[in-house]
Amino acid sequence: MLFILEDTINGILMGSIYGLAALGLTLIFGVLKVINFAHGSLLMVGMYVAYWAVLLTGVHPYLSLVIVVPVMFLFGYLLQDILIKPIFKAEKDVREPITVIIVTTGVWYILDNLSLLIFGPQYRNIQDNPLRGKMLEAGEMMISVPKLWGFCAAIITALLVYLFLQKTRMGRAVRATSLDRDAASLQGINQYKIYNISFGIGTAIAGVAGVTLVPFFNIFPSVGVLFDIKCFIIVVLGGLGSIGGALLGGMIVGVIESVGPQFMTATWTEAIVYGLFLVFLFLKPSGLFGVKYDW
Amino acid sequence: MNPLVYRKLPLILVGVLALGLPLVVTSPTYLHIVILLFLYAYLTTSWNLVGGFAGVLPLGHAAFVGIGAYTSTILSLQYGVSPWIGMLVGAVIACIVGVIIGLPTFKMRGAYFALATIAFAEGIRVMFENIDQLGPLQINGPRGLQIPPLKTGLASFMFAEKEPYYYIILVMLAGVLLLTWAISRSKLGYYLMAGGEEPEAAQALGVNVARAKLTAMAMSSFLTAFAGTFWAQFTLYIHPKSVMSLDISFEIAFIALIGGRGSIAGPVLGALLLRPVSDFSRIYFGDKLPGLHLIIFGVVLILVMLFQPRGLQLPLTRIYHRVMDRLFGDREAAA
Repeated sequence: MLFILEDTINGILMGSIYGLAALGLTLIFGVLKVINFAHGSLLMVGMYVAYWAVLLTGVHPYLSLVIVVPVMFLFGYLLQDILIKPIFKAEKDVREPITVIIVTTGVWYILDNLSLLIFGPQYRNIQDNPLRGKMLEAGEMMISVPKLWGFCAAIITALLVYLFLQKTRMGRAVRATSLDRDAASLQGINQYKIYNISFGIGTAIAGVAGVTLVPFFNIFPSVGVLFDIKCFIIVVLGGLGSIGGALLGGMIVGVIESVGPQFMTATWTEAIVYGLFLVFLFLKPSGLFGVKYDW
Repeated sequence: MNPLVYRKLPLILVGVLALGLPLVVTSPTYLHIVILLFLYAYLTTSWNLVGGFAGVLPLGHAAFVGIGAYTSTILSLQYGVSPWIGMLVGAVIACIVGVIIGLPTFKMRGAYFALATIAFAEGIRVMFENIDQLGPLQINGPRGLQIPPLKTGLASFMFAEKEPYYYIILVMLAGVLLLTWAISRSKLGYYLMAGGEEPEAAQALGVNVARAKLTAMAMSSFLTAFAGTFWAQFTLYIHPKSVMSLDISFEIAFIALIGGRGSIAGPVLGALLLRPVSDFSRIYFGDKLPGLHLIIFGVVLILVMLFQPRGLQLPLTRIYHRVMDRLFGDREAAA
């Protein structure tokens, strides 16, 4: 039974990193009411930024956060400002414009294939980093250290986002916009600026997830696709727009992926995750913590 | 003669050109490209029935392609059923699956519908990749199925040359275009467009929006499966990645969106403009600049969405009408 416990723990740790990646997605959705299809690609960009930061400066992988977070925030901010804002302005009265989804899909294709052009298809990883393959021995169990740090990063990031939304003036403006963009505008909130900032924060969170992955995960141009669909599933499981839901949804997916192979062929776990997703979509589309009226 | 008749001339001309094309394009490579172009035009036009007219964004049509391809192939390989009959069976199965997907998902908002279709299509692909044998049916998992080219001929839907394939896909394309045209002027078409743009208002006027969308989904999945069988018989080798991958679903949607969703000419125009880009960039830059055509797709898609959200068909048809007016006199004056 011990190995099941071990798999469960490692699943929860890995799942919290999925949840961290999905956190950015759920934040963007909560405010803009748009599913950002390019989210996995943004994660990929974050991983490459972290990779090069570590390789060029030789700092500890986690220190690359100092570079990754501002770069990714700016990237997301500008992306929203230049590409998505014009569409919001054009489709003002549409509550959930499909056109925006299409544009983010375009961004996904451009980013993935640009990085294929620039960096080539080869898998990269940071060879001599102190965290690679490091294990924590707890009795008979082996627990991956970089995943444990990823878990911590996920919890801390979620807390920070929560505090930002609840305690700061800007956070209150973000929440107001998310509840009712027109009413918020009437209160003097510049909704487009809030969109830019939310998108920037969501992208920066994807960057944080990228940094936590870099020490033990391979980096390649289509790495985002691995996380993209997983993130969609997680946010629907947890309830779109819910921070705690994203983390919990991530952990559920992580546990299925890591415990499942004990009982079946590993590739079948993927089918189970899709099945679970569809069950939720049909029976409880608001997810675990989602709000009902959004439907 | 009525000047309006002259306006139909270009259409007739295009038809004649299409019929005679294999006489001009004799190189099998180029004919292959043209056939794929028509196949994609067919796929996007079928997609457009639900993605365009019904105003939702399905991103899992590759599942129907795969169902069509696998059904006819399994039936012909293991039971000796003619692929033509398998084509129909596959279409019926795809139609049932389409309705099953549509029933719960059409109630959801746009983004969730897109996600649900992706999850469905990916789930079906993962299942095909993991199953070697399903009851008596040999699926072969990721290795896929090979169709041995034993007897060629119309009955077995297998030919040594490319020309017969060309004419089959041409007939299919013409058929689906005709059907779209008929639907766009039918009650169903108006229901769909009303439901796509203003669902609440349409419902208030007594339109059963969900049923109209479901009908469109059923037709779209039925027709898409035909393309799957054609694909299988054309390439004689199918595996889950080749007929069910997410990339196919996205390419179909991209082409339709760039050409112009919800119009008859849009998807065909999109295929005409984009398929050559992808084929030629793969041929000439495939080794040096991989993925170039997808970058071009993405850039074009974003530009179109920003500046011409109704697709490229809008400015092109405007130019077309202006030219026609110049040539044959004003349309309004003539009518």
